[in-house]
Amino acid sequence: MRVIRTLIIACVVVLSCGPAYSAEHTLVMHHMELEEVTAPVRAGDVIIFDNRSDMTHNLYVIYSDGTVDNLDTQVPGMQRKLTLRVAGPAVIKCWIHPIIRLEMEIGSQDMPPAP
Amino acid sequence: MTFRRALLCSIVVSSVAVFLAAIARGNGPLPGVEISAGPAQMSAAAIDELKAKFRRPAAIPFPKSNPFDEKKKDLGRTLFFDPRLSVTGTVSCASCHNPNLAWSDGLERGVGVTGIPLPRRTPGIVDAAWLTALMWDGRADTLEQQAALPITAEHEMGMPLDVLTKRLNEIDGYKTLFEAVFPGKEINAKTAIAALATYERSLVSNKSSFDRWIDGDELAIAPAARRGFVVFNTTGRCNKCHSGWRFTDDSFHDIGLRSEDIGRGKFAPPSVTIMKHAFKTPSLRNARISGPYMHDGSMKTMEEVLDHYEKGGELRPSLSPEMKPVKLSRQEKDDLVAFLETLIGPPLAEKSPELP
Repeated sequence: MRVIRTLIIACVVVLSCGPAYSAEHTLVMHHMELEEVTAPVRAGDVIIFDNRSDMTHNLYVIYSDGTVDNLDTQVPGMQRKLTLRVAGPAVIKCWIHPIIRLEMEIGSQDMPPAP
Repeated sequence: MTFRRALLCSIVVSSVAVFLAAIARGNGPLPGVEISAGPAQMSAAAIDELKAKFRRPAAIPFPKSNPFDEKKKDLGRTLFFDPRLSVTGTVSCASCHNPNLAWSDGLERGVGVTGIPLPRRTPGIVDAAWLTALMWDGRADTLEQQAALPITAEHEMGMPLDVLTKRLNEIDGYKTLFEAVFPGKEINAKTAIAALATYERSLVSNKSSFDRWIDGDELAIAPAARRGFVVFNTTGRCNKCHSGWRFTDDSFHDIGLRSEDIGRGKFAPPSVTIMKHAFKTPSLRNARISGPYMHDGSMKTMEEVLDHYEKGGELRPSLSPEMKPVKLSRQEKDDLVAFLETLIGPPLAEKSPELP
């Protein structure tokens, strides 16, 4: 009995100390607009950038600490993935089309994942 | 000849006469009829849908941070034409953005106070109120940011902003003009630039025959121009970048010109390959009269420009994916040129104001 109880406790400890669950979100590009991600996003989550427009884009993310993640060139129909690195307010822009701009709040990894 | 046969003959003759008269007038297809331009064809419905994308906006957008005011615009005009804004007192904004030269200078590359040719051609400034990125490389986001750049650039107007402030304060006439617009505020570079930006936003292109066509006057442009519009939006691929009523996507593309100038690439991380040699798409309004062309003024004629796009530009990793060689017939090229001519509106005339 004691062994089983110890095993259960060990399993709970291991599971609770494991890596936080990372959600995947899809962000769709339409022409010169980015569709907002409706679910809350957290650092560690993966964004799939889906270019459903008729033009090539080259997006980048500016994090609250000033660092930048560049996605490479995305021709129409192409998807690219990016793992969000830094919690806080972030801005997504396009090198080719400066008019494209999407502000996003990235929650910390401690935040409960999106339902 | 029976009466019935005579009636039939007269109907046929009248119809042919009306048709020939229409051709003689150059009216071409009637409204609602599809346009065929060689291999490029477009239905009437598709053309109507497309035309909606080229409709002019109803009003000029002025930012909340620098709202429109008639006196502010007038002050901006005075400053725009005043050569004392340059360090030598010889070059005004209007020296390069000359109203008589489609608000540019007609030169391959601009020349400022030092007489040394600048690295790039002087862009026109009409319809600048709608720009979302300014300068050939997009290093300014607003007209307020942009206006300070040529004033302070060593080879353009060469004027440090603190010297500009001092000089404007020494001119009595400006004290009255600034006080009327910015009561209680001191004359400084910020207020001067706010006035300049307001004036520049007020410079809107006059309607051309193309705009009248978009507004519903089907006969405003000739059949060749209508065919050119179809080529422009289909086989010519021009609309890939020259889109919307200003004929620019306000975006940055490497169009494959041979040049050492890397343009917007200077402001992007080296890993952003596509920005190397990328420059802002210029508007095509009044383009037929505002050459030479390209950011470096390297092409003298529109025909040279069309030849370049037919070839598709120099192949290199940064070449825009929108750049693809196109095959245009002589007829299609002529139609394209005829279409571009419909974008020439009456000149936006401006007289030099009396300086204080």
